[in-house]
Amino acid sequence: MQILFKNIDMKGLANIDIYEKQGGYQSLKKAFAKKPEEVIEIVKVSGLRGRGGAGFPAGLKWSFLAKDVFPRYLACNADESEPGTCKDRELLEKNPHLLIEGIVATCYACQIETAYIYFRGEFQHASDLMDKAIEEAHKKGYLGKNIMGSGLDLDLYTHLGAGAYICGEESALLNSLEGRRGEPRLKPPFPAVEGLYGKPTVINNVETLCAVPWIVNEGGEKYAAIGTEKSKGTKLVSVSGHVKKPGNYEIVLGMPVREIIFDLAGGIRNDNRLKAFIPGGSSVPMLTADKVDVGYDYESLQEAGSMLGSGALIVMDHTVNVVEVTLRLAYFYMHESCGKCTPCREGTRWMWQILGKIQTGEGVGAQVDKLLDICDNMSFKCFCPLGDAAVGPVASSIKCFRSDYDELIKKLEGDKVAT
Amino acid sequence: MSKDNNINITINDQPVSVPKGTLVVEAAKQIGIEIPVFCYHEKLGPFGCCRMCLVEVEKMPKLTTACTQTVMPDMVVKTESPKVVKAQQGVLEFTLLNHPLDCPVCDKGGECPLQDNTFKFGPGTTRMEFDRANQDKATPLSPVITIDRERCIACQRCTRYSDIIEQEQALVMLNRGFNNEVNTFNDEPYTTKYSGNVIDICPVGALTNTEFRFKARTWDLNNSATLCAHCGCNCNMTLASRTNKFMRVETRPNDLVDDGWICDKARFGYDFIESDNRIIEAISLVGGERKAVNTFDAAIQVAESLKKIADEHGPKSIGFIGSPFGTNEELYLYHKLFRLELRTNNLDHKTYSDTPGLPVDHYDFLNIETANLVLLIGSDSAEELPILDLRIKKAVTHKGVKLAILNDQKTDLDKVADLSLKYDVGLDGIALAALANSLATELGIPAVEVSSSDESLTGIAVDQMKKMSELIRTATKVCVVYNPASLTGNSIFMLKHLLGVINKIPTMECGAIPAAPFTNSVGAMDMGILPDYYPGGVSISDSDKVQKIWGDSAFLDAKGFSALEMIDKAESGELKALLVYRSNPVVDFPEGKRIEAVLKNLPLLVVHDMMKTETSALADIVLPSNGPGYDEGTTTNIGGRVQYRKRGLNTTNSPDWKIISKMINSLSEKPIEYLTSFSVTEELSKMVPGYNEISKKSIKKEGKTREKIEYINGSTPEIQKIDSSGKGLRLRIATQLFSKDKVLDASSPLAHHFLPPTLCLHESDALKLDLFNGDQAVLTANGIDVGVTVEVSDRCNPGAVVVPRVSDDQGLLRLASSGSVSWVEVRKG
Amino acid sequence: MFVFTSEEKNKIEKIVGRYPVKQSALLPLLTLVQRRDGYVSPEAMEAIGKELELSPAYVQSVMSFYTMYHAQPTGKYIILFCHNISCQLNGADELLKYTAKKLGTDVGGTTTDKKFTLHQEECLAACCGGPMMRVNDTFYENLTREKIDQILDSLP
Repeated sequence: MQILFKNIDMKGLANIDIYEKQGGYQSLKKAFAKKPEEVIEIVKVSGLRGRGGAGFPAGLKWSFLAKDVFPRYLACNADESEPGTCKDRELLEKNPHLLIEGIVATCYACQIETAYIYFRGEFQHASDLMDKAIEEAHKKGYLGKNIMGSGLDLDLYTHLGAGAYICGEESALLNSLEGRRGEPRLKPPFPAVEGLYGKPTVINNVETLCAVPWIVNEGGEKYAAIGTEKSKGTKLVSVSGHVKKPGNYEIVLGMPVREIIFDLAGGIRNDNRLKAFIPGGSSVPMLTADKVDVGYDYESLQEAGSMLGSGALIVMDHTVNVVEVTLRLAYFYMHESCGKCTPCREGTRWMWQILGKIQTGEGVGAQVDKLLDICDNMSFKCFCPLGDAAVGPVASSIKCFRSDYDELIKKLEGDKVAT
Repeated sequence: MSKDNNINITINDQPVSVPKGTLVVEAAKQIGIEIPVFCYHEKLGPFGCCRMCLVEVEKMPKLTTACTQTVMPDMVVKTESPKVVKAQQGVLEFTLLNHPLDCPVCDKGGECPLQDNTFKFGPGTTRMEFDRANQDKATPLSPVITIDRERCIACQRCTRYSDIIEQEQALVMLNRGFNNEVNTFNDEPYTTKYSGNVIDICPVGALTNTEFRFKARTWDLNNSATLCAHCGCNCNMTLASRTNKFMRVETRPNDLVDDGWICDKARFGYDFIESDNRIIEAISLVGGERKAVNTFDAAIQVAESLKKIADEHGPKSIGFIGSPFGTNEELYLYHKLFRLELRTNNLDHKTYSDTPGLPVDHYDFLNIETANLVLLIGSDSAEELPILDLRIKKAVTHKGVKLAILNDQKTDLDKVADLSLKYDVGLDGIALAALANSLATELGIPAVEVSSSDESLTGIAVDQMKKMSELIRTATKVCVVYNPASLTGNSIFMLKHLLGVINKIPTMECGAIPAAPFTNSVGAMDMGILPDYYPGGVSISDSDKVQKIWGDSAFLDAKGFSALEMIDKAESGELKALLVYRSNPVVDFPEGKRIEAVLKNLPLLVVHDMMKTETSALADIVLPSNGPGYDEGTTTNIGGRVQYRKRGLNTTNSPDWKIISKMINSLSEKPIEYLTSFSVTEELSKMVPGYNEISKKSIKKEGKTREKIEYINGSTPEIQKIDSSGKGLRLRIATQLFSKDKVLDASSPLAHHFLPPTLCLHESDALKLDLFNGDQAVLTANGIDVGVTVEVSDRCNPGAVVVPRVSDDQGLLRLASSGSVSWVEVRKG
Repeated sequence: MFVFTSEEKNKIEKIVGRYPVKQSALLPLLTLVQRRDGYVSPEAMEAIGKELELSPAYVQSVMSFYTMYHAQPTGKYIILFCHNISCQLNGADELLKYTAKKLGTDVGGTTTDKKFTLHQEECLAACCGGPMMRVNDTFYENLTREKIDQILDSLP
């Protein structure tokens, strides 16, 4: 089932003529023939959920836009920075027009006249490609004034960040787009009510918006017929780590993780034993190998004790040093913490310090329990979800692999005793 | 929802009913429940970054911050549940994780929210097993603020203050995450005019008062609830002392005046209290020698000498040059002395033209926020009345109030103004007339006679003036803030005419704030230190009213001499005696060189002052004035609010009001002994119209506005003839907040603000004079030369120069003339 | 003295025109300077502040928040070497050490000939091709020692 990756490896797909020949921009005709609210309804029926990590139903989010308040804005979240995730970059570099088409359809539905694509700063190349594509789209009348006679005026601009994972959080993204530090905002008010420049704003991930053209073309019911009860449609999964064929794969939601790892990604490297996997990017809890049969969808993964997140499946075999991996991730969150709230600013650093001691053999047993308590003191107490994300790998690795921690401590405490 | 717009909630099973939009943290305060906070501050609004105020709310899945959560109907809040207690301990553990154990050496100890919250809500011990992170300790953020970055808990109160309140964005957060640090641009010093407020709002000892460092423990301090005496805002402050030595100044929030802030001059400009330059004893010329004498003896000598001269040469032969720096009680008593006992009308306190009363309401600070247009005339609030400046910025940026500016020079507020127009220096009268006329024609009010060519001479294009009048016309509530001290000649009458015109616009609410920079200008006017008015704006020509209040024997005569006229009369010999109170005419009046010569030859010169000055050096008798810090009394601020200025330190010197009453009693048939300054207040409240409700009790909490004085003048004023006969360029001397003078001298902690002598010269004039940026130049007038450095700018319109008054030493006023406009010649130096 | 060329001023005008509020152009202007000079100096911050009516302190506050803006001069090529989980699982640590040794500079430092600045970096969204590095605008994936040699040696 290829919705997002249809023709993805076709040469020149980024060229608008080739894109049009494959049926590109057809969804706009269909959308403009309907009323804007009807288009929102189609997306609602489709059950499309946000593909950036939060999984909130897209159509529902659009319907929250403050009524009768204008102008409105759209911000496309192309700040892909969740460790393990590289799916948006492939879409952006190979098929930029798909995103443009999705944005135009969305802006029509939500009556938006100005849209920005917020690229993470390191995506300079993708942003340049997108600028070319936008210029092509303008020339063909898919952007600008009175698009295809629909009455929709839309200006689409690219905007680059400058290196901050936190800017992937929607309110921090808005602050960054406004020329501020990328610190998150208080919610409520939510962006749909008071977003960019205080106006109602739609924020969606690249992948989410790229799914819109197919949904408009084929209808919401058809999309909803794919996938599971609560997870409709297809998902791009970035499979990385200890697999033979790492890459981005488009799956029907619900496919068991086992199939993703062993069929699509060719199995574990060197035919090693699977030890653990993180199903949805570093921020979600890791799972032990025995959970490998869980279906890759929102509800099943949640039931299994983790989350679907951004759709990044990180696979670890039996050679992995769980504590070292956790330490590396702890460093990541400490580095990316914006510093605004105390528990995250201090907690991420403290956890990294403790993990460092354990990793280098200077840890004591009580510190592992302390780590869990620090996780508890951070969970749902921070200003934004980054604090909770930082807790994810630490709490789950201790829960799943306590013996690994204890081994390291026992071994080294044993060493000390010996000498 | 119950009555009105109130919402009912319960906190820890206690009910409370509060208006919609109230934050949970504020609702809790109302029923005495303390929810600990760090980053939350009433004036800065919700932020939610410290996480200290997490509370449990039924039906909400996560704990929520009480400082960002508004009340919802039937909300059930728990602040002491096990979940909340654990969260509070966790947050405090994180907050203290890398906080240095500085308490024994930290100035904040004893008034530290971190200490208090830890004690009440924190964990008993620490689990931090690593060395705490080291940062810069005790670094100067500016010459008066010390920053200790190890102590900072990143609550962002100070950075938000710099953004929201002072609107400078000078103090910011740099870097990210654990590395974030409070700093300025490129490590430059943090030197805004209101920088010191961050010391008060910092919840830990990260930002501290450098002058106060290590001087005392807060619990040893003797705190006096007093007022600042520097400018006409009369901000409320706390003056702390220990063993009768000055320690520090802090804010003492009064939303009706200062809104919780003080400027740096209040905070760091009180060294003068202990200056070596103070006059601490009476001096009298005895047989050609200056000798220290008993103060009361000297006072009696003064009174008797003045009486003798008045008896011999008539009421016009003596005079009183008072000051807007005196308290109401002191000025009231001096009025009694000169009008009732010595029987003269020669009383004045200023060098500019002004009369009591307004044809519109006398507005107060809050009206600035509730108006929809503020019209600022001739006022540079940033340099003259800083807290007024903050209030206007607040109104414009956060309350949607429009700002229109009419001035002869550029000011800081231009950047937030909707419209800012510059009239030529000296042509304020015509500009005001033009504006009044553009409004008057539609209202059927007779216009001021102005020839059309005169209008174009104002420096303001006709269509711009139209825009200004449109702004006024379309507003429904206008607050006019004007500085009478900056208006030339008799333009004040034109201004009051303009106020009357604005007030006639249908559905218009109009009020004014007379924003003279000096501490008690309004009080000085109210206390009758004027040649033509008794206290309370009662004209000397209104004999009925005068006699009704002051008795049948009250002195009624022709208008007396103004302060500048007294100098002229002294020169001609008609005036033979002067008592100068808290004023320094040799330096502060125009033509100082001439004044020096005049005063030298004056048969009797008495100076009653706080500091040794150029004028006191010429006096025959010098009386010591206690001045702020030691004195007690009331002052009336620019909003007409009367407040009590308590003393901060004790002195054995007699208070001024006692000295003055001694003088009265030595001459009076009915001497009165006052017990305290309030005894004087009580009397003046009966005798001064408008002050009848003023009493110790009524002004205790937040002060009280006195009733406004009515300004009645039926006729349309005339334009003064423009004096274009002068040579050179017109001179505009601009007030500087931090000027090196008797109060802020070279040893002041604010000395880093002192500017070098500067001349702001317009490009077109500079071209004609062959002067460039950075050149040395000389200003000449009245036979005086003053050296300056040229700064080419469009601070004022061509044809004039702006010279900031950077110090007393400059002798700048010597260049000025007592006519309506001063001229200076400018040449290369 | 920091100056914007007239061509740059035209560019700035276009950039500012993309947003209803001037301040939004702050990151694009900082990026313009960073790419031009290799770092953002205090004078540049003041100049940007003037263009956008922001205080220099505010400009510095925003600039110092983001990792791609450097306060000190950098080399001709800025190498961002990913050391996050997916790359680390596939041997990135060893290759980063190798690269540092090869260039003769510490991680975080610049070579003495000012050609290369080497940073360890967080996830760059190339996880399926790890270990990887970004050299200026180009991504290089599936790195090996040989590949690293080939790439770095061939850069002019």
